[in-house]
This record gives sequence, structure tokens and C-alpha cells, in this order.
Amino acid sequence: MHSPSTEHVRRLNEHLDIHFDRSWFDEMEARIQKNGPWDDRTKFELAYEAEQASLVRSFDELLCLAHIPQLKPLPHQIETAKKVLHQMRGRAILADEVGLGKTIEAGLVIKEYLVRGLVRKVLILVPASLVLQWVRELNQKFGIPAVAQKKEYMWKTCDIIVASIDTAKRDPHRDIVLGEEYDMLVVDEAHKLKNKKTSNYKFVLELRKKYCMLLTATPVQNDLGELYNLITLLKPGQLGGQGQFAANFVVGKRLPKNEDKLQEELAKVMIRNRRSDGEMEFTKRVVKNIPLTLSPDERALYDGVCNFVRGRYEESRGDLGSMLSLVTLQREVCSSRDAVFVTLVNLFKKTAEDSPLRPKIWELVELIRNVKSNTKAEKTLELIRAIGDKTIVFTEYRASQEYLLAFLKERNITAVPYRGGMNRGKKDWMMDLFRNRAQVMVATEAGGEGINLQFCHHIINFDLPWNPMRVEQRIGRVHRLGQTEDVHIFNLSTVGTIEEHILSLLHEKINMFEMVIGGLDTILERFEKQTSLESSLFKMWAEAKSDEDIRRQLDRLGDSFRHIREEVEQERKERARLGAILNAVGQSVPPEAEVNP
Amino acid sequence: MNARQVQKFVMRYLEATDCHIVEKHPAYVTVKLSPEADKRLTNRSYYWSFVERTGAPPETMTFTFVFDPDKLKAEAEAKQRQSEAKSRQSAASPQASQLLGPSGQPIAGDSILSRYFGITPAPLGTGRIPREEVTFGSKRLLQLFDVVKAEGRHVQLFEEPSAADRRSAESSGYVSYLMVNVKIELACDMKRDELHSFGVDLSTGELHESFIETVAGKKLTPRLPPRVYIARPAVSLTRARTIVEQHVEKLLKRYDHSWAAAAHERLMDELSRVDGYYEDAVKAAGDEVRREVEKQWNKRREEIDWQYRPKIRVSVINGGLFHLKRP
Repeated sequence: MHSPSTEHVRRLNEHLDIHFDRSWFDEMEARIQKNGPWDDRTKFELAYEAEQASLVRSFDELLCLAHIPQLKPLPHQIETAKKVLHQMRGRAILADEVGLGKTIEAGLVIKEYLVRGLVRKVLILVPASLVLQWVRELNQKFGIPAVAQKKEYMWKTCDIIVASIDTAKRDPHRDIVLGEEYDMLVVDEAHKLKNKKTSNYKFVLELRKKYCMLLTATPVQNDLGELYNLITLLKPGQLGGQGQFAANFVVGKRLPKNEDKLQEELAKVMIRNRRSDGEMEFTKRVVKNIPLTLSPDERALYDGVCNFVRGRYEESRGDLGSMLSLVTLQREVCSSRDAVFVTLVNLFKKTAEDSPLRPKIWELVELIRNVKSNTKAEKTLELIRAIGDKTIVFTEYRASQEYLLAFLKERNITAVPYRGGMNRGKKDWMMDLFRNRAQVMVATEAGGEGINLQFCHHIINFDLPWNPMRVEQRIGRVHRLGQTEDVHIFNLSTVGTIEEHILSLLHEKINMFEMVIGGLDTILERFEKQTSLESSLFKMWAEAKSDEDIRRQLDRLGDSFRHIREEVEQERKERARLGAILNAVGQSVPPEAEVNP
Repeated sequence: MNARQVQKFVMRYLEATDCHIVEKHPAYVTVKLSPEADKRLTNRSYYWSFVERTGAPPETMTFTFVFDPDKLKAEAEAKQRQSEAKSRQSAASPQASQLLGPSGQPIAGDSILSRYFGITPAPLGTGRIPREEVTFGSKRLLQLFDVVKAEGRHVQLFEEPSAADRRSAESSGYVSYLMVNVKIELACDMKRDELHSFGVDLSTGELHESFIETVAGKKLTPRLPPRVYIARPAVSLTRARTIVEQHVEKLLKRYDHSWAAAAHERLMDELSRVDGYYEDAVKAAGDEVRREVEKQWNKRREEIDWQYRPKIRVSVINGGLFHLKRP
């Protein structure tokens, strides 16, 4: 925006000026006066060649692709970048569905502007947990020298900075950031800016920016006003003033009118690519439940732990608050003796020395010592050998994971670990090893970003989480777009244990494994309004008088789940009309266009 | 720039800065940097200030720059196939054959796990020479671009007299030119560049185009050759600047500037959209926030101007005095 003092301006026509930069001549004058120093001829020629090579020869060709040979963007991503650059003129809402590569699209646009010399200073505001991931992607995939904001001075010294909005809007950063002029502002997870009364919204509104991209997979969550607010950040007046907007486009909170016109206006500022839908395109899930009978020594341990847990539960008169470790114990005993051992030892350490509990705990530890067989691990090994292909084994417990790794290693099966606590680099390394060298991955974590394992289509659930969301996450790592094979899921469950009931709830009552449940998170949120599913399950188990009792209770849980699910589906249908408008903005992307890591 | 052009570019820089080429391969080069190149490329200002203050002998870094990763990979694979074929022939006895895992890959003493748990150290790679891919768009090449752009801005060069000239009794006649390499940037919310090389004859003020090509084949030296007389230029630097600027202006006048007209129209459109929004907003605002809203309005108008206003920037990327033999 500012012009240097050595600039000489000449008017070319009514709306075009030529700005001559004369600084080179001033320096030349000085060198002639002092007769040098003169630069080297080769460097002089190379400088000319360098300028020639980085010359922007036309207004509208996409140059950045030549600069990122290692990245092969998908057709819809290139299409989107072009649209942002040439039609939306660098101000856009990127509203692709999750997993279609909004970051790649944003990266392409930033890179293009950098290459063209239209952008130097870039501010990227993202949730704190995504800062490093953004920096990494921009560095590695795009060769964009982005840095994570750590120190106050960096706002001024670093041209391309990634920061969390919560940091940026706080003192002492706030005034510095608001004092800068950003050639490009990017806000990820921009739906967090839907409310114009929040400090985040006001902060972003105050920022000075030339180009701007807002990234969100859910531009509208509850009502149309949210979309209006987002667009006002980007291009105030695009949908008219507040009053005009309400009069022209809104009937009810979720009910638009003049849909064609609204769609047309939206298409000017928003791009929404979505999967060419939906659930039909997924390959099949083939579920096999494998009932296992515990060996006598394992059975003895299981019964011992059950009695112990029930005893404690009755003593505490149903107070669930203090029962957390008991819940854990009850679940771990279904996984492996190693898992239950770690918790028992910790419990032992925490118990007072004179407590009557101590000998009881010790008895259980003795029982563990007697366990010689491991029915589940043997079965897992058998399955892995029979599969003879990449297999991912999920367990809830770190101890079980380590046990399994050692167990498989002794039997000459290459397996790599994967867990939440690993840093990004290690996670990537483990994924690489699994892809290229190891047959098996033993994972404790399924959530989190960037774990795409479409090259594998066998899952063994060594034990089951009690939370359906986590079950879905596990399967979702493998059974996603881009998976070309049917996915085989093996559920290990031990007969006559709590696990059997959990499996029956998840499989038969909720029908968790065979289909993708839309809006599972919403369903669960409502389902768990009072207490979490986990604690109601535990309570049910601890209080049940008989197996029959449990089964009845499970039926009731399953019924209410189904009920909520129907309710949610109904609402989704209502919302579909609004969704259809959003979806008309952009193209649908064939399923093979899933973004690979 | 393709891989070959990048390679040529980098090699010319390395040679110009007296770097020591350790190994040269069609796809890569291993080079021990000269102190000059090391200072520019390795970002070790602390180390260099230490060397300078203590007078310790400097130890420069060695790099392997890979220009054609695909070629190198293909070569390595071919080599591996060859050696595999060889080992298959020699390993006829069953003990020597590799143990295969269930999915067919060899089990190499479980090195993945042992490495993960830190039992056996990872095998040392190719020594401690950092290996880098230098392709178009890579950080290293961009850095090199910046280095040469900063260090190749002003030159003074003399054409070397031929042997015949040297023998002749008369001193050769020389003409001085000011070479000015100009970048023209036509920018609105999008942008396009042009590069021009002008040479201004400093005795007549005549301007030549594509001057860099005129000079390209000539033998040039930074030192004044013996028995060469350079006349004092009749045209001053300021005058030469005016000649160049006027020429550029004339050049640009002839261009089709519909791009600027279109950008100007967009600018007006955008301004009226923002104005429409804020006129309403200001009316609706209470007294206490009105000033705030007006400030915001102003800010948005500035941003739009910044984004769309078409303009042409003309800057000199480099140039210098060229004293050439009279043709």
C-alpha cells in the first residue's frame, strides 16, 4: 500500500499510473562516484536468468504447479484454486466437505500469489491444536516458509505466520497484529466465527487484509444468519445489508426463500465440493464376531475381578464418581492380563497400608500370575496368519498393545505400534512402516487427523471400546472413501463376560458395524444428555441380578438409541433443503479423489 | 526451468564462487562450498563471526545437490535389481535364502521394532553429507535466486581487445553503454510481468533493445584493458534514466490496457457494494458506535483499493556500464 520515496509516478491513462522505482539508479550513481565495487559478471547473468525463470508471463495461468513438483493436487483442488484466483479474486469461503483437501486448496492459492509476487505477508489463524500441522503441510507440501508464532517479535519479522486466534487477539499481540497489513488472511475452522458478537469475530473484522480465505466444512450449523456473518467478514454487502438479507432470503431460521437467487449470490463467494455422495459409494463392511471361551485360569481371573468390582460398587452404594478405576478394571480384564495388572498395581499403591482391600488386590495379582494362556492373543495370531495381508489390530490399552507387539514379534510377525502420545513425526514414520514393511499395526488410538489407512482392509478389534463413537472412528480409519476393497472386521469377544453384552449392544441393537450411521455424534450427544453411555453401561452391569436382567436393560438402551436416531434423521431431512443450496455451490468429487496423506 | 537448466544454473554459481566439486554425476553434484558460498547458503552467521574474530581456519560444509531425483531413483532401483539377481544365483543353498514374512516381505531381524525401541542403532547412511533436492521451486534454488539477485546488480565490464587490436599501434575506439534490465509488473488483483533489457549509448543517447543478447557472446573483463581509452560519457546517468523511463512509457502507451479497465470496473463495483452495506449500517448504528462503523467502512474501502486498483510498477533488476569496441 505504501510507496517508497525513490518512486516516480507517471499517469498513463485515466485510471492507470506507472510507478518507476529509481533506487537502482541512485546506487549506480554512488558506485560510479567511487569507481566500484562492481559485481561479478556470472552472478549478474545468473540474476537475469533467475528473473527470467520466475517471470509471470500471463495474468491467468496457474503457475504454482511448476513450483511444487512433489505435490499432485486432485482435479477438483486445482479447479477450486483457479476459481478462487480468477473469479472470486482472492476472497472466498472454502467449504468443502471434510477430507477433500481444503488445506491443499488454500495452499495452492497462497503459493500462486507468492509466486506472482502479489502476496508477501500472510496470517493464518487456526485452532491451537492445528498450528503445527499447518506449518508442516505448508513447508513440506508447498515449500512455503511458514512458521508457527511463538514470540511477540515474530509478528513483525516473519512474513508467513501461523497462529491460534486466541493468542492473536490477546494483549500484547492484538495491537501488533491489528497494526499490520496482511496481503493474505486465512482462517481455518471459520464456522467458529459465525456469531458476530464474539471477540473472535470482532477481531477478524478489524484485521486489515487484501485477500482472504475462510475455511469451514460447515458454513451453516443452525441458521442462515451464520452464513451471512461469515460473508460479511469476507465481502460486506454481498447479500445486502442485514435487513435486506432477512427480507430477501429468510423465512425461518433454517428456511431460506428465493433459493435460486441466494444460490447465485453464494456461488460468487463460496466453493463447496462434496463427495459424489454418499453412503452408496462405500465398499461393504463384513463383520465377523468371534466368540472365545476363556481358559480355566483366565476365567478364574475374570471372576475374581468381577467379584472385586461388584464388591467395591456395593460398598460405595452406587456412587459412580469414585468408580472410574473400577470401570477401567472391569474393561481391562476383558482385554489382557497385562492391562489389568498395571491397574491393579496402581490401585494397590494407592490403597492405605492397613486397608482390608490390600490382601484382596494381592489375591487378584496372584490370579494373574497363574494365567498361562492368552486365548485372545492366540486367536489374533491365528487370524493374522489366515488373513496373510495388512491388518490393523485395535486395543484400548497400552499394556495390551505392548503385550501384543512382543507376542507377535516372538512369532515372527512384523508389527508396528501406534498411539496417541506419539509425536507427529513418529506417527508418520509408523504409518510409513506399516504401509511399506510391516504386516500388522497395533494401535491404541483411532481418532486424530491424518490417519488414512485405505491400503489395509482388515481390522481386528482385540477389545471393544464402550463408546460407539470410538468404534466408528476405528472402522473409519480404514473404511473410508478411497477404500477399494470390502472391509473385514473381526470382533473378539469372550463368552460369558461383559464383553459379550457390549458387542451385542453395538452390533445387534445399534447395528454399529455394518453401516455408516449419519450424525452419530449428534445421536450420542442427545443419548448421553444425562449420563455418559459408558457409566450407564457400567451401572447396569454392576446392579444387574442376572444375565436375563442385563439383556432386558440392553434392549431398553438399544430402543432409546433407535428412537433418537429416527428423530435425528427427521431433522436432517428438514435441513436438507438448506443443504441443497449449499451443495449446489461447487462440484461433487468422485470417491477415488480422497486425499491421501 | 527444467532439471537440466537448474543444474546448469547451480553449477555456474558454484564455479563462480570457487567451490570444490567433489563428485559430478548427471543427476547430482557433491560439492564442498567455498567460504563465500558457505556464508551465503548455510545460514551460519554465528559460526562465521566466530571464525572471523578468532582467526580459526574455517571448515565449510559439503552438500549433495540432487537435480534429477527420478533419474537417480531409477538408477538405484536398477542397481538393486541387478544385485538381487546376482545374490539369487549365488544363494542356492536353503540356509542362505531369506526368511519370508506372511505377506512375503523379508524379515530383517525385526529391525523395525528394535530400531523403534532403540536396541540397534540405525545403520549409518551415506555419511554426514546433507543431501538436498534442488528442483525448480525448491527452497535452495529460491535462496540461490535471491543471492545472485542481490549480488549481481551493478557491473562495469570492458570488452577484451582481440590479438590483432593489441598488435595495432592505434588505441581501439570504445563506446560506453548503460545496460538497464527492467522488470515491468502489470498488477491489479492479478499480475503479469515483462522483462526488458535496454542499452543506452552514452555518447549519443540512442536506446537499443534486447541489449543483454548483444553483449552475450562477447569476451568481457572487469579490468580496463591496456591501451584502451574510454571517453567521458556525454550522456549523464540521470539523462539515461529519463531516456529509459520515457521509452518504457511510450512502450506501455501502445499496450492494450483493457485489463486495467476491467480491474477498475471491478474496483468500482466492489466499492459500491461496500458503500451500500455501510450506508445502511451507519444509519442503523447508534451514536456511540457510529464512529466505529465509519472507521470500519473506511478500512474496507482501503482494502478494496489495495486489492483491485490497477497499476504498473517498473523497477530495474540489474544493469551496469558496458564498454564495447566500436563495431
